[in-house]
Amino acid sequence: MTHDSMTDSDSGTDTQATDGGRESLASNDLEGSDPTTEPLVDSSIDVDGRSDAPASADRTVIESNDLDVYYDDVQALQSIDIEIPAEKVTAIIGPSGCGKSTFLRCINRMNDLVDAARIDGELLFEGKNVYDDDVDPVVLRRKIGMVFQAPNPFPKSIYDNVAYGLEVQGIEGDYDEIVEEALRRAALWDEVKDQLDSSGLDLSGGQQQRLCIARAIAPDPDVILMDEPASALDPVATSKIEDLIEDLAEEYTVIIVTHNMQQAARISDKTAVFLTGGELVEFDDTNKIFENPEHDRVEDYITGKFG
Amino acid sequence: MATNQGTGEWYGTDEAVSRVRGQAFKTLCLGATLLALLAVFVLLLYVANDAFRPLSADIGWLLSFAATVVLPVLAAVGYYYTRDTKAGETATIALGLPVICLLLAGGVFITFEHIVSVYQWLSILVSLGIAAAIVAAHNRVRADADLERFAVIVGVPALLLWYVPDVILSLPVLPTQSLALLGSFAVPIALATGWFVRRQRESDRDGAIAAAVTIVGAAAGLGVAPVVGLSPFVWMLLVTITGVPVGLYVESVFRRGAGVSGLAFPVLVGGGILMGVVITNALGFTGPNPWLDWGFLTSSPSRTPEDAGFYPPLVGSVMMLLVIVVSAFPVGVGAAIYLEEYAPKRGLLGRVVDLIEVNIGNLAGVPSVVYGVLGLALFIRWGGLGSGTALVGGFTIGLLILPIVIISSQEAIRAVPDSMRQASYGMGATKWQTTRNVVLPEALPGIMTGNILAMGRAIGETAPLLIIGAPAVVRIAPASFTNKFSAMPRQIYTWSSEIDVAFRHGVLAAGVVTLLVVLLLMNGAAIIIRNKYQRRD
Repeated sequence: MTHDSMTDSDSGTDTQATDGGRESLASNDLEGSDPTTEPLVDSSIDVDGRSDAPASADRTVIESNDLDVYYDDVQALQSIDIEIPAEKVTAIIGPSGCGKSTFLRCINRMNDLVDAARIDGELLFEGKNVYDDDVDPVVLRRKIGMVFQAPNPFPKSIYDNVAYGLEVQGIEGDYDEIVEEALRRAALWDEVKDQLDSSGLDLSGGQQQRLCIARAIAPDPDVILMDEPASALDPVATSKIEDLIEDLAEEYTVIIVTHNMQQAARISDKTAVFLTGGELVEFDDTNKIFENPEHDRVEDYITGKFG
Repeated sequence: MATNQGTGEWYGTDEAVSRVRGQAFKTLCLGATLLALLAVFVLLLYVANDAFRPLSADIGWLLSFAATVVLPVLAAVGYYYTRDTKAGETATIALGLPVICLLLAGGVFITFEHIVSVYQWLSILVSLGIAAAIVAAHNRVRADADLERFAVIVGVPALLLWYVPDVILSLPVLPTQSLALLGSFAVPIALATGWFVRRQRESDRDGAIAAAVTIVGAAAGLGVAPVVGLSPFVWMLLVTITGVPVGLYVESVFRRGAGVSGLAFPVLVGGGILMGVVITNALGFTGPNPWLDWGFLTSSPSRTPEDAGFYPPLVGSVMMLLVIVVSAFPVGVGAAIYLEEYAPKRGLLGRVVDLIEVNIGNLAGVPSVVYGVLGLALFIRWGGLGSGTALVGGFTIGLLILPIVIISSQEAIRAVPDSMRQASYGMGATKWQTTRNVVLPEALPGIMTGNILAMGRAIGETAPLLIIGAPAVVRIAPASFTNKFSAMPRQIYTWSSEIDVAFRHGVLAAGVVTLLVVLLLMNGAAIIIRNKYQRRD
């Protein structure tokens, strides 16, 4: 490798080398500090830990303290306290209208776009309250990518869809390479490599959603939020997306809202259960939630007695 | 049991469920539809009959054209409709495209002849080229100075457009008109054609061939055009505006290989007309003596109905539309973008915005004569512009269609799904990036459709022109935007009050048909744009 900016001296394989290049691409950071070297807040929840988790997994990347959200006079979230670990898949489950999407949209301040929304309390990303006055939501969203419930590619070519984030964020570099890498990670490259110039809307629903994931990871965010990413897809496309999410968790912090409890059990490391009224009832390792939850209400919900 | 009415059979063959009211309602609605269509159709037929006077022809002339044109066309339509609908589509486009392109070429000819001379056009292009080079250079030298770049992007073209054209026009040596047109019009069109073909076919070679053929075809006019009796100028317009699109279309039909037989349709029509002409000449049948003929379109108004023409008002209408496109559309679209994307939606200010939006709707309903008075007061009395000029006419009617432009553009912007905005914001785009990269491209076809329909409204407005003092008769097409002008409806109004019956029944009908054809073409263009870019889902 001829790159001077490459810092990983131990990178031997091709993929790692490319990853090093990508790290340096997105170095114009929000806070300036490298999140992998300086844990800002220690996680206290993950007591027993999972044996296969990497050592840095205990680090908390997103933390909320007493977070309330109101839509006009209706309270959608009630004093949520949660600490979400880095580089793991955290699933948020719960019945309809329990505020799980609202919570997700608080993290990257997408709720700012809803005029009626009002937020109280703290939501820390890398130790900084994202609702502080000096936080620019646009910069925040560049660190926290998002995949929406319904596939929403732009009516542009596949290439332009993936390159969109690079363009708006002013990232320099070899776009061809970054686009290919993002599409490869989204497990879409082999299907679309011959039609990069055709419209993203010509793809099937599952492909469109993977295109949206490729679009979200192309600018190399720290966290990826997914709002029921597979709810509009058939089982085959769903299982592809699930495999993909597990792969993504090796490098990104993934937070996924889902209706589907089997899905949460399959792919997540941690699970948060929201129940009606917008309260976070239980947050723990996925195994514990699904095998031996502390609260009876959670058990009732998981076993299908209500909700 | 509820189903046990009448004879007790559950499937209700008797009058168990009454549908009389529904049937009556359906019939009434059908009647209303038919009445509306019939009224418009009869009116159009009446006007067209006055304009073309088909019954003034020999019966033999009518019969021979019926045999050579009408019957074959009917047969072909029947064939396409029943056997080969794909070819039918091709046939429609293959006949319509040349006609529309020829009319467009006429419009461009009028533009170059009366509004922007070829040399002015060339000098504008050169100025813009220099401006683009300066902006690009600035972009490279001072990549970070955003505000400065904005000033450069706005200021440099404006300054250059103000000074450079005069300098170029005062040069001692200028290329001949044909050469200037070749460089400033044929070459850009050839480049655009090459780019289009290259994108469509994803082949650099095909793009280069298409561009080269276009340039060679246009340049051939320098030698060939005098031989066939055209000026090189007209030849180039025909090649670039009519030849290129038709050629591209025919080539694409052959390449796709579907519906090729549809290409026979325009040949059938053209051949039929030619044969009809030959037969009627040989047998000595005299054709009809229409009011609407080539002479009507190309000559000036006259005191004798036979010599009366429509050319100066035609040019005046084109000039007025240009003023509207430049003045009202940017303002209207800008206002629509602000109201949809930026204006506050809630609170006290939100309510003010609501009030403004409601009143824009009200403004769309204000009678046009009121706008005429407004234009008179605003532009002529207060602004000091000369009365009855294309500039004032365009501004006044621009004001009139401004609410329509705003409302239709707002609807187009509102139709962009919110999920796309969210996707863009989620990628870390700013509001400006989202509006520019996602909302506007997606809304543009809708905005254009609305604007073209608004132009259709503008081209038919009469009352404001009367108020701002557009003259009753203009004998020479206006040479600039500050000359007195007349527009098509204004001229029609003049003819409607002539004493001579031939004016009121013949010339007026010809003017009306011309105006309607222009109107239909514009609306047709709007519909085509809408259908082509309609969202697929």
